[in-house]
Amino acid sequence: MFDSHNKFRTFAELVGFPDSLGSPVPAAADTHGTTVLCLRYKNGILNLGDRRATAANYIMYDRADKILTLDDHTLVAISGSFARSVEIARYLRHAFKYYSRTQLQDMSLEGKLQEVSRALAGNLSMSLDGIGVFVPIVSAYNPATDSLGIYFYDVMGARFESGEYGAAGSGSDRIRGVFDYIQREKGPFDKRPLDDVLKDGLTMLDIASRLDSATGDMTNTLPAAKTLTKDGIADVPSSTLAKAVKSIHSK
Amino acid sequence: MLSPYDWQESITQRAQYIENRLRSGSPIVGLSIDEGCILYTYRKNVRKVYEVYDRVMFSAIGQQADVESMRVTSIDFAHQEGYAHSEEDVTIGRLVGFALSGPMKRAFGDLTIAPFVIHALFAEMNAKPDEDLFIWLHYDGDFVAHRHFAVAGGTGPVEQRMRDYLSEKYDPKMKFDEAIRLADAAWRIGADRDGNGQPDDELFRGAYPEIGFLERNVDRVRRFRLIQEEAKRFP
Repeated sequence: MFDSHNKFRTFAELVGFPDSLGSPVPAAADTHGTTVLCLRYKNGILNLGDRRATAANYIMYDRADKILTLDDHTLVAISGSFARSVEIARYLRHAFKYYSRTQLQDMSLEGKLQEVSRALAGNLSMSLDGIGVFVPIVSAYNPATDSLGIYFYDVMGARFESGEYGAAGSGSDRIRGVFDYIQREKGPFDKRPLDDVLKDGLTMLDIASRLDSATGDMTNTLPAAKTLTKDGIADVPSSTLAKAVKSIHSK
Repeated sequence: MLSPYDWQESITQRAQYIENRLRSGSPIVGLSIDEGCILYTYRKNVRKVYEVYDRVMFSAIGQQADVESMRVTSIDFAHQEGYAHSEEDVTIGRLVGFALSGPMKRAFGDLTIAPFVIHALFAEMNAKPDEDLFIWLHYDGDFVAHRHFAVAGGTGPVEQRMRDYLSEKYDPKMKFDEAIRLADAAWRIGADRDGNGQPDDELFRGAYPEIGFLERNVDRVRRFRLIQEEAKRFP
């Protein structure tokens, strides 16, 4: 017989997660991704992120992509420790695939969200030392109920569902209240078209970059922007993005 | 005391036993075209084509317990390697050569344990049809790599007839629908064991096509598609 056995086994057991993560790095060397936001729009969810990654007071990189695809129905926007969050997103991507192939069915949304919680909890001992802290926002389409949802987490893995928007990262606290203001003035995000919501989102990212030194501005590098709908995940075309950024800067 | 002669005789009997079991299996046709990689077969109540990894799938003839065991072993091996290194590093050459062939050879040669009753076809999609790979894996651990098209059938002569047919008709520029019609024709040749021009009733009655399709040029994360209901329109 093959060595393998057919009992139910999780991907974490197969690869020995979280021990399979690399060893921790000192806090000063830990690169951080900064501001990301997720906004509902009519029929979809828009994810936006600035492109800056910082380590202490250094700007490490101005082209970081913090909006990552987990599978065809799930996006994660990450802020905090870059190394750790990219590695955990990678782990989750593999875990979802492993489940669907071994079990011959896709993991349910609840299962995926639980897996994110577990990955955060697995990262906790390091987080308590102030290393590798990160906060994900998950945008997901649930085929079972034909609905979209935005979910955010604390560092311990507690999950919260957010209705219309989510934001995380150093610049997010500066703009959180603006979300409410916009909703009161213009109506709920999920009733408005994409290009309209895209302008609001970019405006907030622009404000965050002015109030928070760790958030990159949009002049030189366009922000990362992806949409999630029931048809899948798509990049917002850079021409659309460039035009929207230009119109914001001209105001 | 087992003499070398006894061993040889037992092995021969073993091979005969396995080949008798495999003889009635529904053949599998693998084709590589511009749009992607196809595994085509007819199934009854049990699924036959499985996704193994991002660009890898397989189908097999044989005992269901062995198919299942090979499926789980392959998935585990591919995912461990893909996670430890990169998705690009997972190939069927290493999967079959390192994880499957050895244990199958051991099980076949060790008269104290049950051998694998399985005959499998693995498919790996790469950047273009010329780079795609099929591996034909025999119950004794023996394996052969093929490009462009490959088959797995109940007996050697059946496979030869299918290959002859495909080598005459195969064209990598074929569209998906054409490729499916070709695969279906090749399957019917493989399922016609008595040579009367019709697929054998035992294989054909109550069976319907199942297609595993790895799509080459898609933006989706998941490239594998299992086509069952829609496949019924083809034959």
